[in-house]
Amino acid sequence: MPVNLSQRRNGKANSLMKNIPPEDLYVNPVGKSVARIDGRGLVTGQAKYVYDLKLPGMLTGKMIRSHVPHALIRNIDTSAAEKLPGVKAIITAKDTYNIKFGSNEFFFPHTVDQMALEADKVRYIGDEIGAVAAIDEDTAEAALKLIKIDYEPLPAVFDMMEAMKPGAPLIHQAMGNIGVLLPVNFGNPDRALKEADYVREDTFYASSAAHCCLEPHNSIGQWESFSDKITLWTSTQAPFKVREALAKTLRMSLNDVRVIKLAVGGGFGGKLEMLPMDFAACLLSKKSGGLPVKICYSREEEFAFSRRKHAMLYKLKSGVKKDGSLSAITGEVFADGGGYCSYGPTVLAAAIMRIFMVYKIQHFRITGYRIYTNTPISGAIRGFGGVQSGFAIESHMDLLARGIGMDPVEFRLRNITSPNMTTINKMKITSNGLKECITQSTEAAGWTDKHGKKLTGREKHLKRGIGIGIAADVMGSKMYKSHESAGSIIKIEEDGSVYLFTGAADTGQGSNTALSQIAAQALGVSFKRIKCRAADTEITPFDTGSFASRVTFIAGNATLRAAKDAKLQILKIVAEEYKCDINHLDIIAENVINLEEDVVLMNFDKALDLCYSFEYGQQIIGKGTYNPTTTPVDFRTGEGNVSGSYGFEAQIAEVEVNTETGEVRVMKMWDAHDIGKAINPSSVESQIEGSLAMGIGYTFYEDLQFKEGRVANGTFSQYRLPRAYGIPPIETILIETNDPQGPFGAKGMGEASLLPTAAAIANAIHDAVDVRIKDLPITPQKILKALEEQKSKKEGRSL
Amino acid sequence: MDKKLTTLHINKTKYQLPLEGHETLLEVLRDQIGLTGTKSACSEAECGACTVLIDGQSVLSCITLACDVEGRDILTIEGLSQNEELHPVQQAFLEKGAVQCGFCIPGMILSSHALLSENPQPETEQIQKSIDGHICRCAGYHKMIDAVKYAGELIAKKERES
Repeated sequence: MPVNLSQRRNGKANSLMKNIPPEDLYVNPVGKSVARIDGRGLVTGQAKYVYDLKLPGMLTGKMIRSHVPHALIRNIDTSAAEKLPGVKAIITAKDTYNIKFGSNEFFFPHTVDQMALEADKVRYIGDEIGAVAAIDEDTAEAALKLIKIDYEPLPAVFDMMEAMKPGAPLIHQAMGNIGVLLPVNFGNPDRALKEADYVREDTFYASSAAHCCLEPHNSIGQWESFSDKITLWTSTQAPFKVREALAKTLRMSLNDVRVIKLAVGGGFGGKLEMLPMDFAACLLSKKSGGLPVKICYSREEEFAFSRRKHAMLYKLKSGVKKDGSLSAITGEVFADGGGYCSYGPTVLAAAIMRIFMVYKIQHFRITGYRIYTNTPISGAIRGFGGVQSGFAIESHMDLLARGIGMDPVEFRLRNITSPNMTTINKMKITSNGLKECITQSTEAAGWTDKHGKKLTGREKHLKRGIGIGIAADVMGSKMYKSHESAGSIIKIEEDGSVYLFTGAADTGQGSNTALSQIAAQALGVSFKRIKCRAADTEITPFDTGSFASRVTFIAGNATLRAAKDAKLQILKIVAEEYKCDINHLDIIAENVINLEEDVVLMNFDKALDLCYSFEYGQQIIGKGTYNPTTTPVDFRTGEGNVSGSYGFEAQIAEVEVNTETGEVRVMKMWDAHDIGKAINPSSVESQIEGSLAMGIGYTFYEDLQFKEGRVANGTFSQYRLPRAYGIPPIETILIETNDPQGPFGAKGMGEASLLPTAAAIANAIHDAVDVRIKDLPITPQKILKALEEQKSKKEGRSL
Repeated sequence: MDKKLTTLHINKTKYQLPLEGHETLLEVLRDQIGLTGTKSACSEAECGACTVLIDGQSVLSCITLACDVEGRDILTIEGLSQNEELHPVQQAFLEKGAVQCGFCIPGMILSSHALLSENPQPETEQIQKSIDGHICRCAGYHKMIDAVKYAGELIAKKERES
C-alpha cells in the first residue's frame, strides 16, 4: 500500500510537533548539530583503527618492491630469505593467478593494467613484486635484504610530455604512452572562436600532491583453513570495492572474502581501491597456514607507494563576446598518470566534464590525455581532477573577464548554469543554488567595496586584493560497476533500540552520524535510540564506497527508505490493533499518533511492545536500497548524466601581498555552498573548513616532487601541510536548495570546497598586484619574479 | 640487548617492565601495555599524534625513550577521563564538532589540556600556537580552536560549582 509519510507530516501533527522543545537535539535531529555517534570513542582514544588491532599469532608483512623505475624481471631469488629464522612465508607472482585489477573496469576495461604482484616487468620505483611475512618487523626487514632480483633495465621516462614523444620508452602497450585519450567535443568551437570579440590562450600547471591521511594504509589479512575464507581488516573508503578486487585476484567468490572497516584515520581518495598490500596480507596468511598477517605503511611508504594526485597541464584557448557571454572553451589537458591507470580515466573525465556543471556553454572542445610515466601511480584524491581543473578554468575565466573589462562576478553570473536545465552534454541539473552562492558570498565579503580598489594594508608594500572561484560537484558516479547502489537495514528490537546497518564507509567525515540522523528523523524517534554498524561486507548491505560526495545522497536515500519501511511495519500492527486506517497514523517525536483525531495513541516503546507481543510477534526489520537515476556517460563524446543531483559553491579569498618579500597572507575566506539541506550543520561546516584548508595547502606549498622517479620530499618534515597557525578565518554560508531527490532535500558535499580555492587566491593576488601566477604552488619566489617582470615591462625594458 | 626493570607511572598506575634502552615510550605504551589511544603518524616528531603529558607538559612519545621517563607522571588519553564522565576538553571537542577521523585527537586533546592547565582562558593565537605541532588533515583547525575555548569555560564552570 503506497503511503506517503512525508506529506502527512505537514498536516495536523504540526500541533504535536510544537510541543518539542527546540533545544532537544535528539528528537527530529535532521538539521541539528548532534555530536558524532562515534564521538566518545574518538575523544577517549578507545576507537579502534586497524593500526591498533592485534590478533593471536599475528605476523608482520612487508612488500618486496622494485628499486628501479623501469625494467624486466629476469629472476627473483628468495632462497636465502626463506632460510632466515622467523620468516614464515614469501610470495611472488608465481604464487598468484596473474590476474590484473583496476579501478574503472566498467567504462574503461582497457585500463585494467596492474597485477597484485608484477611478474615480468616493473614500471616505477616501488612497484610490488612480492611480499614477506615474519614473526616481527626486524626479521621481515632482514628478509627483504636477502632477496635477490635480477633486472634487465629499460630506459625510463619521468616527464609526461617527454613520454608522449616518438621514440620514448613504452611503459605499457599504449601508443605514445597515452593510457587514456578523452576527446570531448560539442557544437562548433572553431566558428564560435572566430565570432568571439575577445580570445585568449593560457597555460596552467597544477602540481602533484599527497593525501596525507593521518592514519597510513594498514591491513590485516587472515585465511581460514577449514572454510577456505579470507578476512581482511583494512583502513578503507570502499570495503566492497576492495572485496571485489580481492575476490577477482585471489579467484574466490565474493562471499568467501570478508572485508571489515574499523575506525579509519582519513581517506581523501587514497583508500578507494585495493592495493597490492591488501592482496599480499591475505595470500601471505594463506601461505603461512592461516596466521594473521599485518602490513602497516610507514609515512615514507605512504608518500612513495600509495597513490598521488595527477599533476596536470592545461592549455586553454577560449573566447567571449563583449556582453560577457562565453563563446567557446577549447584546449588540451595532460595528466601525469605514473606507472598504472588506477582511477585515472575517471579523474581525467571529471577534470574536463565538471565545466559543464558550472558554465552554460554551447561550443566546447577539450581533449584529455592521461600519460604513463615511470613514477608512482596517480589516482583518486579529494576533488577527483576538479582541483587541477578548478585552478585552470577559474583562473582562465577571470582573465577572460578582465580582457573585456567586466567584473569577474558579473561575468560568472552571466554564464553559470541554472536550476532545472540540461547541459550541452546531457547532464540533468535539478536544484542549483550557484547564483545564490555567488551573490551571498560576494555580499558577505564586501566585494564591491574591495574589488579593483587597490587597497593597501598597514604599510604601503602590503597590497590587498579579492578574488572569486566557483565550482560544482557530483553526488556519486558509476565508476567501477554498472550500478552504484547503496543499501541499509534497520532492525528494531523489543526494547525499542534501533540498529542501522549500512554499507557506507565512514572514514571520519561523519557519515554514520548523518545516516543515523536520517534514520531517526524518518522513523520519528530520538537519535539516541540509534546504533550504527557500517561497512562490513559480510554483515551490512552493499555500498560502492565513500567517494564523489555520494554518501549522504545515495546511502542517505537507502537509509530513508529502510526507515520508512520499518515504520510502516510498526504502523500496520498499530492500525490492526486500533482497527483504524494506517493512512491516518504516523510516528512523530517518539509517539504514534492518529493524525485524523490529532491524538497520541502510544509512545514508541509501547508500539514495540505491541509488535513483539503474544498476539503479533512481529520482528521489525526495514530495508532500503537506492541507485540514483543517471544515464551512462559515453566517454567517446562526453555525453551523459553522471549524477542524480549536483552541488554548487562559490568561494571568495581576500589576500594581502607583501611586494617586498612576495609573501601572501590570506586574510579571510568565504565559502557559500549549496548543500541542499544540512543534515548536520556543524559537520557540514567542518567538511567545508577542512576541505578549504587542504585547498590552501595545495595553493601555497603542497607539491609532491620527484627526482628520477623517486619521491623527493616524502616526509612530513619535507612536505609542508596546513597547520593551526596560519589558517585564515573562514566564513561558511550554507545555501539550502532542498533537492527534489535528496533525503530531506540533502545533497552530498565535502569535496567541492577545495576546487576553487587556488584560483580564488590567484585571482585575488592578481587583483592586488596585477600579476598572474599560472603554476602551482604559488610561492613567494614566483610572485617576486612576476613583480620584477612587471616592473621591467613598465620601465620599457625587456629582461 | 640487556633489559632493565623500569617503573613507569602511567595514568596513576605503576607498571614494572623489563625494557631495552632503545625502546620509545610510544612503543611501550602501545605494544607492551596496550594503551593504543596514543597514535603515531610519522615517527619523526612532526605530526603530534603521539603526544602524551609528562609532569603536565606535552611530549612526543615517538622520540622519548621509555627508560628516560622512569618515575615521572605520564598521562595518556586513556587516563584523562574518569569512569564514564568525559573530561571537559573531551566534552568540548565532542560538542563543538571538532572531531572528524579522530587520529590526531588524543594528542590534540592532551596538548589542549596542558595549555588550559596553565592558561584557563587562552586567546585564539595562543591556542593556534599550542596546537601548531599537531597535524589535522580533516577539519581545518577552526572547530578545535573553538573547542579549546569552550573547554576553558566548562572547566571554569565546573570549578565554580565545586
